[in-house]
Amino acid sequence: MRIALAGNPNSGKTTMYNVLTGRNEKVGNWAGVTVDKIESPLRKKYSVGSEGVIIVDLPGAYSMSPFTSEESITSDYVRNARPDVIVNIVDSTNLSRSLFFTTQLLEIGIPVVVALNKTDITDKRHNKINTKLLSERLGCPVVSTSADDGKGVDKLARVALNSAGGTQAAPFVGKKATDRASAEKADRERFAFVNKIVSAVETRETKASDLGIQDKIDDILTNKWLGIPIFAVVMFLVFQISQSWLGAWIAEGIVFENGFELYGLVTLIDMLGAWVAGLMEGANPLLTSLIVDGIIGGVGAVVGFLPLVMVMYFLIALLEDLGYMARVAVVLDPVFKRVGLSGRSVIPFVIGTGCAVPGVMACRTIRDERERRATAMLAPFMPCGAKLPVISLFAGAFFGESRWVGVSMYFVGILVILLGAFVVNSVTGYKARKSYFIMELPEYKAPSVSKALISMCQRGWSYIVKAGTVILVCNFAVHLMQSYGWNLRPVENAGDSILATAAFPFAYLFAPVVGVVAWQFAAATITGFIAKENVVGTLAVCFVGLENLINLDELAMLEGTGAEIAGVMAISRVAALAFLVLNLFTPPCFAAIGAMNAEIKSKKWLFGGIALQLGMGYSLGFMVYFFGTLFTGAGFGAAWMPILGWTVVLVFTLTILLLSLKSKRQAAEKADAKATATV
Amino acid sequence: MTLLNAENGKTYTVKNIETGDAELEAFLFSLGCYSGEKITVVKLRKSGCVVLIKDGRYNIDSALAGAIEIE
Amino acid sequence: MTDIIAIAVILLVVGAALGYIIWAKKKGRRCIGCPDSKGCSGNCSSCQGNCKTK
Repeated sequence: MRIALAGNPNSGKTTMYNVLTGRNEKVGNWAGVTVDKIESPLRKKYSVGSEGVIIVDLPGAYSMSPFTSEESITSDYVRNARPDVIVNIVDSTNLSRSLFFTTQLLEIGIPVVVALNKTDITDKRHNKINTKLLSERLGCPVVSTSADDGKGVDKLARVALNSAGGTQAAPFVGKKATDRASAEKADRERFAFVNKIVSAVETRETKASDLGIQDKIDDILTNKWLGIPIFAVVMFLVFQISQSWLGAWIAEGIVFENGFELYGLVTLIDMLGAWVAGLMEGANPLLTSLIVDGIIGGVGAVVGFLPLVMVMYFLIALLEDLGYMARVAVVLDPVFKRVGLSGRSVIPFVIGTGCAVPGVMACRTIRDERERRATAMLAPFMPCGAKLPVISLFAGAFFGESRWVGVSMYFVGILVILLGAFVVNSVTGYKARKSYFIMELPEYKAPSVSKALISMCQRGWSYIVKAGTVILVCNFAVHLMQSYGWNLRPVENAGDSILATAAFPFAYLFAPVVGVVAWQFAAATITGFIAKENVVGTLAVCFVGLENLINLDELAMLEGTGAEIAGVMAISRVAALAFLVLNLFTPPCFAAIGAMNAEIKSKKWLFGGIALQLGMGYSLGFMVYFFGTLFTGAGFGAAWMPILGWTVVLVFTLTILLLSLKSKRQAAEKADAKATATV
Repeated sequence: MTLLNAENGKTYTVKNIETGDAELEAFLFSLGCYSGEKITVVKLRKSGCVVLIKDGRYNIDSALAGAIEIE
Repeated sequence: MTDIIAIAVILLVVGAALGYIIWAKKKGRRCIGCPDSKGCSGNCSSCQGNCKTK
């Protein structure tokens, strides 16, 4: 038996779904969180003897006439897949809008149960709804619920299960519409019917039109002058707290005044490595190295950043629950309009700070195809959770005193997005069209700390699983390839290993960005396409511990020969920053590229997007290195490096210019053809 | 007049919506924004405004605000 | 002796990791470990409600 949850966006369907199924799907206080259908079995405690009950969560819809692709998922599912029961989650704070969809659901003929959700808010406001009368007028059971608190859920489950197999009469049947005019007329009648019910059933003490604290807050948050600075401060705090304060303390530990040291995660991992190395005394040094440096070292380096990632996810979960996301979209709308996008693109970008894959998926809420494709290919420019270790590593190792460098990467990400959007526009020949933006402003909610903690643990666990599987296998392979030569014999000098020789060609390509020909960095960047955390893992494996990255003595001993490799250790701060920028803005991991492919649905656009990312990442990285080196007065590695760098940058910019000119010409030709045709 | 000339805090009746986008107008309809229905202006700005339609608050940009005629 | 244990441990750990990856891919998970990946098949907008329950 299948029970579908349908209702307006942000009415609480996914929250209810989580309570009913025990799962922890993503929720957020804004419209458009759920973009896809998802299903899972009903928990035993609500099953009341019924077997095989499956709950289906659907994306939000305002009506059965689909406007967006998620609305069509809902209307298609309900009409074609014919679930056994429809539970209509209704936001009780907006009955007059919600019931429009309700009456449409009641016409389908499937038993409907209305869950009057968010009653915690209506109760707080002393607004009353006569559920008995509402049930009579609608012709279906009505259950008061508050999914957030878990109230009324068992009653809802019981009523829903009992309704299965029954029939459903429709209290209002919309006349079949043949054209737009008659469709509109039918809808007007429907709303008239709904209005009558609402006035009979609802008693409000606080009218929605009364201006309250929420409006005052919105005034400040979306203020023309304060809005963006406030957003900048919020962003700064989120990343500063996770990277430099709380997150860093948990990762690195704290030393108190009296000398007592609270071990951080990184110290503990180092201790584990040392302990295992001790256990393996006398064993084949290759094996020891494989386990201690390859597996524990590589995975440990990545896991060491876990506290930072978890704290960031916690803070973002709080912000999402609060309802701030919609306001951010409003604040940034004018900025994004200048580059041909709109506030609708903001939410995918914000989700992208967690993981680019759901960020790209969230682009489905964007109606305009060009905007949707552009947003999908630009979303990966926002540093994701996997890039956070890379940021923190370089910001921490090379810019220890100025930890804000790490945070600034997120702002740079936004700037790169704006630049990228501008490029996409000129290449695709975008002309400023009338684009309408409407964003629902949900009620502010006191963010649930417990829910944020759960979300944080969930994502933290995923991070560990990823580290223990994908990253582990990659680091293992990297270590093997670094220890053995092509003759499958252990190498004396890492520079002769499989990895080094395979990475060398790329090392030449990336040399302009870091100022040295270093196969380790090339290998790190390449493994980064499997998972961005691998940049950290691979570097840890190649340099036998991240501390050696800037430790001149130790490494010189281990790596030995080659002017190129010795030069690596003196990689300047500028080079480190440039390398960081390169890795942040190159194409994302394959999984994210796959998501881009699914959303963009056009090979031309996909390859264009990847080319844009490759060009951006490289050009930005190189220019950081070039101008940074000029600025600090240091010397360049070798003359060919800046030459190669500038060549790539030039080719990239010229390609963009040529494509833009081509599309301008095409647009002009089209306009001419139109003009002559109308004459 | 359109929403662009409206006053903060006042409630109006929608007279007409001219966006040239039939789907958008159908969407606005499902929110309760159509001719004959009430719309309250919560806050008006140059870049857009916050309106109240059937107990829901929405932020719309100036382009959309200019397309909604009120009285 | 330690060598053999070491090799066994390595095979176990790496094998388990590989095994998990293969198992997850078979189950249709997009990204290993990602909590959203269960619903993330990427093509559901063309599904039209005919998705079968796994």
